[in-house]
Amino acid sequence: MEQATLSAREIITSYGGPKLRIMEVCGTHTHEIFRLGIRRLLPGNVELISGPGCPVCVTPVGYIDEALFLALERRAVICTFGDLIRVPGTSGSLADARAKGAEIRAVYSPMDAVAFAAEHPDRAVVFLAVGFETTVPGACLAVKKAQKDGLRNFSILGSNKTMPRAYEALQGSADAFLYPGHVHAITGTGDCEAMLKKGVSGVVAGFTASELTTALASILRLSREGKPFFRNCYPRVVTAEGNIPAQKLMREVMEPCDAEWRGLGVIPGSGLALREPYWDFDARKVFSVPPIAGRSNPACRCGEVLQGKCRPCDCRVFGSGCTPQHPIGACMVSGEGACSAYYQYGGIDLWKKA
Amino acid sequence: MEKSVTLAHGAGGEQTAELIDRVFKHHFSNPDFTGDDAAVLRIESGKLAFTTDGFIVSPYEFPGGNIGKLSICGTVNDLACMGAKPLYLSCAFVIEEGFPMDKLEEIAAAMEKTAAEAGVRIVAGDTKVAGKGQVDHIFITTTGIGRVLDGVRTSGALAQPGDCVIVTGDIGRHGCTILLQRDEFGIDADVRSDCAPLWGTVRTMLDAAKDVHVIRDATRGGVGTVLYEIAGQSHVSIRLNADSIPVDPAVKGVCGMLGLEPLYLACEGRLVIFAPQKEASVILDALHSCPYSENAAVIGTVSEEMPGKVILRTELGTETLLPRPGGELLPRIC
Repeated sequence: MEQATLSAREIITSYGGPKLRIMEVCGTHTHEIFRLGIRRLLPGNVELISGPGCPVCVTPVGYIDEALFLALERRAVICTFGDLIRVPGTSGSLADARAKGAEIRAVYSPMDAVAFAAEHPDRAVVFLAVGFETTVPGACLAVKKAQKDGLRNFSILGSNKTMPRAYEALQGSADAFLYPGHVHAITGTGDCEAMLKKGVSGVVAGFTASELTTALASILRLSREGKPFFRNCYPRVVTAEGNIPAQKLMREVMEPCDAEWRGLGVIPGSGLALREPYWDFDARKVFSVPPIAGRSNPACRCGEVLQGKCRPCDCRVFGSGCTPQHPIGACMVSGEGACSAYYQYGGIDLWKKA
Repeated sequence: MEKSVTLAHGAGGEQTAELIDRVFKHHFSNPDFTGDDAAVLRIESGKLAFTTDGFIVSPYEFPGGNIGKLSICGTVNDLACMGAKPLYLSCAFVIEEGFPMDKLEEIAAAMEKTAAEAGVRIVAGDTKVAGKGQVDHIFITTTGIGRVLDGVRTSGALAQPGDCVIVTGDIGRHGCTILLQRDEFGIDADVRSDCAPLWGTVRTMLDAAKDVHVIRDATRGGVGTVLYEIAGQSHVSIRLNADSIPVDPAVKGVCGMLGLEPLYLACEGRLVIFAPQKEASVILDALHSCPYSENAAVIGTVSEEMPGKVILRTELGTETLLPRPGGELLPRIC
């Protein structure tokens, strides 16, 4: 084991300071923290809260309903990242729609959807553009490629989101944030510095065992100094200025808009929508999608889970009515969702202990 | 002979006879493979093991093998897992109209070579040709009979607290190879399937140590799935040590990029073995002397604290539950 890991581990296991609530914002962090058994290193007075950083989890029910409308009423071919296929809408999921004859295709990249549209000029193809700053540039490239190639049968149903406004909305939920390394590889650390000025603490973290333990140890150490802090604990990937070409691309193709987050409601300025020159590729405009207000299953507490207000195991349907095989809420569908991580890894004693 | 398989080759007439003579008899010939309706075999005393398996792998050729080699290995290995020396195989082909004859030759040649290595005779067969689009290139079913070595009794229900868990080589290569061959991800990596006939390996091990409780080949679902099956069948828990699980660096790299866990990727030439701890070094020495198990390693132990569960000791030294595999595993892997 590396020396740095060992000392970080000692800092974590020997922490004797005041109670501390740390929110890991990113779904991949949630998953890796469970996979590596990091929660079992933490002393009782340090709590890790899984935040809203899984794109599938924060996608509101109404968005799934819009996709269902396009698939079933407008007979569009839906191309999407696989996880979204099983997320329940108000009545049924895209998987259910597929069983009814809708064409739902799992793709690994938005470019695959553009390629499919080019090969099938007689079909209307809609890509479900969800995700944070990490996946937005891909969607932007896809739209630009479709425009350049003169494709008239490709559009995106946008629900892209950005993190800064969400951090603000969540600032009371935790004492410090474990900021998502992939997002800040694109956006740089300016947003974190801005949060620091508002008195919000956090560190940017990578994803390996040593990166995660180092980041957590940094939070524990810095928090003892009694004032707000920020550190970039993922400097091998995250720079202060971030990925400038990707930022430029996003600004060129998209503009901020209000966005609904499952559990957090509408957060002003937290979404991204296509700018006017690209409206021909906006599925809502192309297909005149009516406003749809989705209703989630009342038993599901994903909304509270995403805000760190309750743990997955506090939900009445967790593990009984709601399992990865038969999910009720989005957080159980995605491999990065907090409920799924608790369900898969938590069996030893985790949800009984805390 | 024609360059590709036609419906006439499956009609039972002259072309069928020609196909059997030129391809199958040519490669499979042995004294027990006759032109009669069934092979007549001498029954040895003792216990027989009997198994069957269908193979529909896509693509049917891949680095490290093809569907022919796979169809022999799969059945031979299933017999070997019961401590049975493979004796006889049957094979049934369903071939798509238009399938290239030279590819069929290659598949039959691979079957011949693999069967010879495993010391098993192909004694019965069947050929059907399906219309274009009714089958994806070629499907093969093999059925095998083996003779269980005297004094050997293995079963997934026989794992006991105190056993060690051994894997006979690096894991996940077959699944990873097939994944890359499908070229859905645009990743290039030098990975070859581990597909291999393992009777020789099992024989060498059982000659060295008779007291082996479980032998299982980690095919669909990989080592992780097999361990959950055994934990369930034997009502025990299994503790794995992540650091001791052998994984090829290229497989690890691909898994890292695609978010996959090598423990759930299929192997076609790897066994998971449970035996009393005191036999571990004898078994490892025997395995290390065999060509397909030079990297065999103890990866865990059996205990009784949480029956049915697999617990992973992570690289940080913490313990976590190995998530139970489920949902959409990669289809058409074998």
